[in-house]
Amino acid sequence: MNYQILLQQVVNGLSLGAMYALLALGFTLVYGILELINFAHFNVFMVASFIGMWALQLLGIHGQGRVLTGFALIGVLVFAFVVTMLLSGVLGVLIERIALRPMRNVRGTAAMITTIGVSYILFNIILLTVGADAKNFPNPLPVVRWQIGGVVLEMREFLIWGIALALMVALHLFVSRTRLGKAMRATAQDSEAARMMGVDVDWVIITAFFLGSALAGAAALIFGLYYNFTSFLIGYKAGLRAFTAAVLGGIGSVTGAMLGGIAIGLVESLGGQLIAVRWTDVIIFSILVIVLVFFPSGLMGRATPNKS
Amino acid sequence: MVDLGAKAAVLGRPFARISPSLRARLGILCIALLAVLFPVIHGNDADIDAAANALSFAALALGLNIVVGFAGLLDLGYAAFFAIGAYAYGALASWQIQPHWSGFWEPFQWLDLVARVHQPTGDLVHFQVSFWLMLPISAAIAAFFGILFGAPTLRLKGDYLAIVTLGFGEIVPIVARNTPTITNGAMGLNGVIPPQIFGYSFGIKALPYYYVGVGLIAFLIFTSYRLKDSRVGRAWMAIREDEIAAGAMGVDRVRFKLLAFAIGAAFAGATGTLYVAKLQTATPDMFMFPVSVMILVMIVFGGIGNVWGVVVGAMILQILQSWILEDMSEWLHALGRLIDVDWLQRVQLASSIELIFGLILVTMMLYRRQGLIPATRRVRPLSLEEQVAQVQRGGFTSLEGLGAVDRSDSGTLLSIKGLTVRFGGLVALRSIDLTVPAHSVVAIIGPNGSGKSTLFNVMTGLVTAEGGSINFAGEEIRGLAPHRVLERGIARTFQNLRLFPGLSVLENVLVGMHARLRTGAIGALARLPWNRREEAQARERALEILALFGNRLLPRADHLAGSLSYANRRRSEIARALAASPRLLLLDEPTAGMNPAETLELVEQIKSLHQLGLTILLIEHKLDVVANLADKVIVLDHGEKIAEGTAAEVRRDPEVIRAYLGRSAAVA
Repeated sequence: MNYQILLQQVVNGLSLGAMYALLALGFTLVYGILELINFAHFNVFMVASFIGMWALQLLGIHGQGRVLTGFALIGVLVFAFVVTMLLSGVLGVLIERIALRPMRNVRGTAAMITTIGVSYILFNIILLTVGADAKNFPNPLPVVRWQIGGVVLEMREFLIWGIALALMVALHLFVSRTRLGKAMRATAQDSEAARMMGVDVDWVIITAFFLGSALAGAAALIFGLYYNFTSFLIGYKAGLRAFTAAVLGGIGSVTGAMLGGIAIGLVESLGGQLIAVRWTDVIIFSILVIVLVFFPSGLMGRATPNKS
Repeated sequence: MVDLGAKAAVLGRPFARISPSLRARLGILCIALLAVLFPVIHGNDADIDAAANALSFAALALGLNIVVGFAGLLDLGYAAFFAIGAYAYGALASWQIQPHWSGFWEPFQWLDLVARVHQPTGDLVHFQVSFWLMLPISAAIAAFFGILFGAPTLRLKGDYLAIVTLGFGEIVPIVARNTPTITNGAMGLNGVIPPQIFGYSFGIKALPYYYVGVGLIAFLIFTSYRLKDSRVGRAWMAIREDEIAAGAMGVDRVRFKLLAFAIGAAFAGATGTLYVAKLQTATPDMFMFPVSVMILVMIVFGGIGNVWGVVVGAMILQILQSWILEDMSEWLHALGRLIDVDWLQRVQLASSIELIFGLILVTMMLYRRQGLIPATRRVRPLSLEEQVAQVQRGGFTSLEGLGAVDRSDSGTLLSIKGLTVRFGGLVALRSIDLTVPAHSVVAIIGPNGSGKSTLFNVMTGLVTAEGGSINFAGEEIRGLAPHRVLERGIARTFQNLRLFPGLSVLENVLVGMHARLRTGAIGALARLPWNRREEAQARERALEILALFGNRLLPRADHLAGSLSYANRRRSEIARALAASPRLLLLDEPTAGMNPAETLELVEQIKSLHQLGLTILLIEHKLDVVANLADKVIVLDHGEKIAEGTAAEVRRDPEVIRAYLGRSAAVA
């Protein structure tokens, strides 16, 4: 096998990985605090991609025809990211407030079933209103390529990496440096104790949903800019991969979600190259099972506390 | 146990004179008659077809109900087993696989499983396995995959299991799509042979499939009920309610989860065969995620865990899909024409069925979690006499319920040496040595966080020790799984109460007997005479154990354990542990939260257990309780044993005073 092709797939995998990492953070933030797998996150991502599409269309960008440069490009991107992240963050908070808060102290699988229902509702609302066909995602980025040793690097890849890195660093700083971040960490450790110490747990949970969903919004825009399309179907596959990334990194761990996302991105691109694209899902799913069964705490996860 | 109160409660209702069991039988007979006569009354072929499909989904709902409703394992890829059953029949009863003929196939030809097809290029094999044979075979194949898939994953926590099954549900259609030699890929299998009976081919008429569906549903309902009201069903529900407590009460969790998975998969496998025989085709798209969700919606809608509920839920949703939404769309079209609104004339409500499913799922979870028909019956209110506790003094007045306690133990029953447990950097237990002589009461005391409960947890297999040995009756038990420890004869209660809140008090006690009973899935289904006898004896013994506590628990035997008062929950836990016929009883703060009178009562009851010959190790904070009960007291502090002796000796020990009251108190 030609090493250049492999190297090219590494470049692609890093871009996918950046997207999965952002999406995985949403799973990890919520799981870390509520110990709940939020299936609604799958389709918050999908809805966010449509929000991003409409935001760009609002600025008169349709399809790939209109290329922007300089300040116009920066302005458009900032607008698209801010609007998409804000609105999807609000969507996440609404889901928490309406559907999940009443389920917070219910034992068993009820809360998880609720998130499946919410996910299904989002999925079908988009299917019924927007339609089943894939939509052309507006993309104002100029195509700038560099050829380095047979590997093609595009400007949009640097842009994706830059944005993802900036958001993850910002999240890391938020969680580790701010007061609310400290409250989040405390709640994740022991929500009851945190509540007794005066932490407003409701507010912490809302923050987790907002941040997680906003990052899903960023991931959705990256998805659109990378693949140039969106459809009602994208949430399921991307969501399962991002969840695998979160588990691989150690669910509940912010750093772990980043590493796991990049690992899954590389597995997807290299696995597709080395084995066959049609088996990629099977490979990723096998990783999920193997990690869960043999390394349940993942790369960076804390050992599950003893509960008896 | 038909009591007068239940009869009185239904007085005045028209069917009150008929006994409840007869009433249930008559009800079932009516439903069966209705199901059999439906096609005769209502001859519309399309409607019979829709009813036949609805029956298939009701069968799937019954299978998923075993997994989710009984065992509490959220399976989001249940359609995968449906697909496996469908493809199993589809591949073995169609023209898809055609190997070259050889002598190997002759015995199969003789059995009429394959036919020899003459071809100019060489003879081929045509699979034509009978539908009736494939019903159980598909069930077995699906069950096999259930076990294959469950074995590595069922150890996972519940929420992880959900996502793994989601992935499994995704993988099976992908595999079907990517292995065209067996499944014909995305095109799907074609020309699946319709079932035949006595030379009559079912063809494409819906009617015979409808009757097969009715028969299948009847069998699955019967199976569900038999399993639910048995040792197997109680083990599943115990796992659903509290996995750790289920293990500690002797339920082999992995084994029973696998059993639930396999039986649920078997239901789906048989249904898949029926479904594909009816449609005479199978494509990967028929078994995707939406099917798994639809079945989940059916059981959530009908009532998770309720057998009739999930059937009703499945039928209603199918009827909604195939009749009501179609009719409503037509009404809207008519309305649109009438008032001349264009979009109303084009509305297709059926296409929004999945949205409706999502809304049902969320609405039911938020507002009616128990579903249309709740799984637990309401119990009659207690009479005043039953509510007023008869305070007992002098311990158990009757010890019948305990049966024969094994008095053969002698010498040292339990001997722990050098036991060390570490949680990360924290040493919870440091090289603990202790012995419990047979027929004695040993108490463990110590300040909070001194490692008392950890000691119980490591003895019962809930926590792994780093070093040391735990010798019970001459056998090393360190590292045994919780259910193995219970089988050896150690039963426990929990400091923070781990009853099965969704089960009745009686059922809680019956779960305690799990390890002493033998009935398995097949026995539960067949109800052979010895199974009936075992169950009857177990119930009788459970009631006797409840009767030990006077009128505290007995009138509440049918109440949910979660609805009891705190003290009664403590008593129920002790009753549950006693039901396991232990040789060593571990009580973790049995009197916590009880008032002085209740404490006194319980202390005397524990004393009678001791007098009967039971060996007891208890953790207790109340020193007067300890002084009253214990032959020997062991004091733990910061994971180390700091004193051992009689209550009076320990009370004078300066180390103990220092641990409890601080250094200055010890000096003074």
